[in-house]
Amino acid sequence: MRKLFYLILLVFLASNLFAQNKLSKLHSKQNLDCSTCHECEVPTKTNPCLALCPRDKGKGTTHKVEDAPKVLEINKIKGEKDLYGAVNFSHKIHAEMSEMANGCVTCHHYNPPGKMVSCDFCHNTERSESKANIPDLKSAYHRQCMGCHTTWEEESRCENCHALNDEHKSTSTTSEIVKVHDSVTRPQTKVYETPNTNKGKVVTFHHNDHIELFGLECVDCHKDESCQSCHNQKPNFKKAENKVQHSSCNTCHETEDEKQCAKCHQESETKAFNHFAKTGFDLNKYHSKNTCSSCHKTKGSYTGLNSQCKNCHTWNNENFKHSITGLELNEEHSELDCTDCHENNNYKKPTCTSCHDESEGFIVPKKLPGKRIK
Amino acid sequence: MSQNRRDFLKTFAAIGTTAATLTAVTPNIAKGSSRRELSIDRKGVLVDTTVCIGCGKCEWACKTAHNMEAGNFDDYSSQLTDGSQRRPSENALTVVNQIDTSIMNSDKVKLQCMHCDHPACESACIVSAITKQENGAVTWDTDKCIGCRYCMVACPFQIPAFEYQKALDPKIVKCDFCYDRTKEGKLPACVEICPVGALTYGTREELLIEAKRRISKDPDKYFDHVFGEYEVGGTSWLYLAENNLVNKVFPKLGTNTAPGVSESIQHGLFAYFVPPVALYALLGGVMWLSKNKDKNEGGH
Ligand code: SF4
Ligand code: SF4
Ligand code: SF4
Repeated sequence: MRKLFYLILLVFLASNLFAQNKLSKLHSKQNLDCSTCHECEVPTKTNPCLALCPRDKGKGTTHKVEDAPKVLEINKIKGEKDLYGAVNFSHKIHAEMSEMANGCVTCHHYNPPGKMVSCDFCHNTERSESKANIPDLKSAYHRQCMGCHTTWEEESRCENCHALNDEHKSTSTTSEIVKVHDSVTRPQTKVYETPNTNKGKVVTFHHNDHIELFGLECVDCHKDESCQSCHNQKPNFKKAENKVQHSSCNTCHETEDEKQCAKCHQESETKAFNHFAKTGFDLNKYHSKNTCSSCHKTKGSYTGLNSQCKNCHTWNNENFKHSITGLELNEEHSELDCTDCHENNNYKKPTCTSCHDESEGFIVPKKLPGKRIK
Repeated sequence: MSQNRRDFLKTFAAIGTTAATLTAVTPNIAKGSSRRELSIDRKGVLVDTTVCIGCGKCEWACKTAHNMEAGNFDDYSSQLTDGSQRRPSENALTVVNQIDTSIMNSDKVKLQCMHCDHPACESACIVSAITKQENGAVTWDTDKCIGCRYCMVACPFQIPAFEYQKALDPKIVKCDFCYDRTKEGKLPACVEICPVGALTYGTREELLIEAKRRISKDPDKYFDHVFGEYEVGGTSWLYLAENNLVNKVFPKLGTNTAPGVSESIQHGLFAYFVPPVALYALLGGVMWLSKNKDKNEGGH
């Protein structure tokens, strides 16, 4: 009897497990943490205990900002009074800005695995049919927008996004407004006063260099931005704390190391970084497109290299195309070792005299070891 | 005329009885003086002041729905940031104020009748013009209203307004929870228009659950109190806020049903005078008669 009982229990448990497996087949393929969607530990079919959309766990396939739609027309909401026309939402610009903070999930706060779903997947277009705990579509949209917009616009100016749908003004239902942002000017150089530090009182920040010379992307520094850093119209906007100010620098610069302060904090404005002035090695000719790290391999260390090519280049007479210098070597010379002509690592000027007697008239550039092609 | 002289006398007799019971000092009866049992499905609105952006659209929609002079709806938001603390009035059944304009994005609070579960205004009204409806709305019957303004004194939230500027037959006005709209299955006008969904319409019961869910989900965002859950015995409109609204927006109120309070006001008022019933009778009677006269003259 007892055995039979256990047997039945076993069969029951197994079938249960099997059922669960079948159910979760779809889920199992996805790399998901159960708690993203389920609130209890053992969700069942009858009680899936689905969590209300988590704000920061979008699981959809995120595409690149470049692939995001440029402008979206929002016209799914119909109010009783129909006061406004459709809104042309500049999705791409907003997506780009969001990259500097939370990314797509700032707005697409929840997404089941797969393609990005549109907002009305969860948010009901009808307010009267909405549940108390899930805002209807109109609320959802406005909360996303106003959550940021009110941080710099005290008054809620509807007309910033909406064109009035007044029959006295226009009969069209499509908004004429496509807000085009004034082009954002990238700062060249910014000078900050830092009177509270006991090191230098001035920090000269060459914004341009960081992009063009050091090859940084906007998001390398602008990672955790608030909208107000650009859209701040409130004069009493709370100044960022010290740490916060360093936060955009300390990915690359050692801001915690006391010895490093003077690198940025100086007594007066400093000139832009110039590799030649600093090191004697001119980057402009052949190396201007390199990033720092393509030569300075150890992160954070910019010393230890000298101006010799072999620091980085492992060329020999076989793999170096001499023609790149503008001089195509003739047959006799192309077989020589580099160092036969370039003594003492001087690749700017060859030495001919180790083979040729000067009195015989072999003087560069009168007589060349090949053909000038540039 | 919805009430004839005989009805009036009946009401009058009822007042006499109530007053008699009151003088017998039976606090329990005083507390439960609401005329009907509260429906479990009575509606309410959850006002989440942390969501409100102060656009003032609700003010506009309310006026429009009640055929009041509404003006241009794009002009409303600026009134909010001027720092004035407006009150609902005979020209605006609801107003939205930003409590502290020096703090950016601080709570904006929409004010209107709270639709108390045990309305002080209802029990103060000597002609039973005010009724707590089954759906939670506290409505009033303009035909019955004699303009005595007792409800104004009684209301713990100072909501009923009086048409002072009207020489002829001034009436009490206040938010009626859009009784006519909700009867047709529509949302209250303010709830319908709110762009951010700061106002949620639903059964009071479900709204309380939702309010508490929001607090527990975001304890940093909300002050841990649902205003209206217990105040003056509970109100249909409930408030969530970042800060404590008591003393800033609402007066500090006990959880006792307000009728007790309003009665004590009246008792206080009349403590040194003739018994209140006599005064009610005199005042009420005179006003009712004169009102009737007005009407009759107007009709001829
Ligand atoms: S808030 Fe005032 S007017 Fe409204 S129901 Fe309560 S007591 Fe009456
Ligand atoms: S419920 Fe109706 S009457 Fe009351 S404030 Fe809202 S719109 Fe005005
Ligand atoms: S419509 Fe909504 S957001 Fe606008 S003021 Fe009224 S409650 Fe606030």
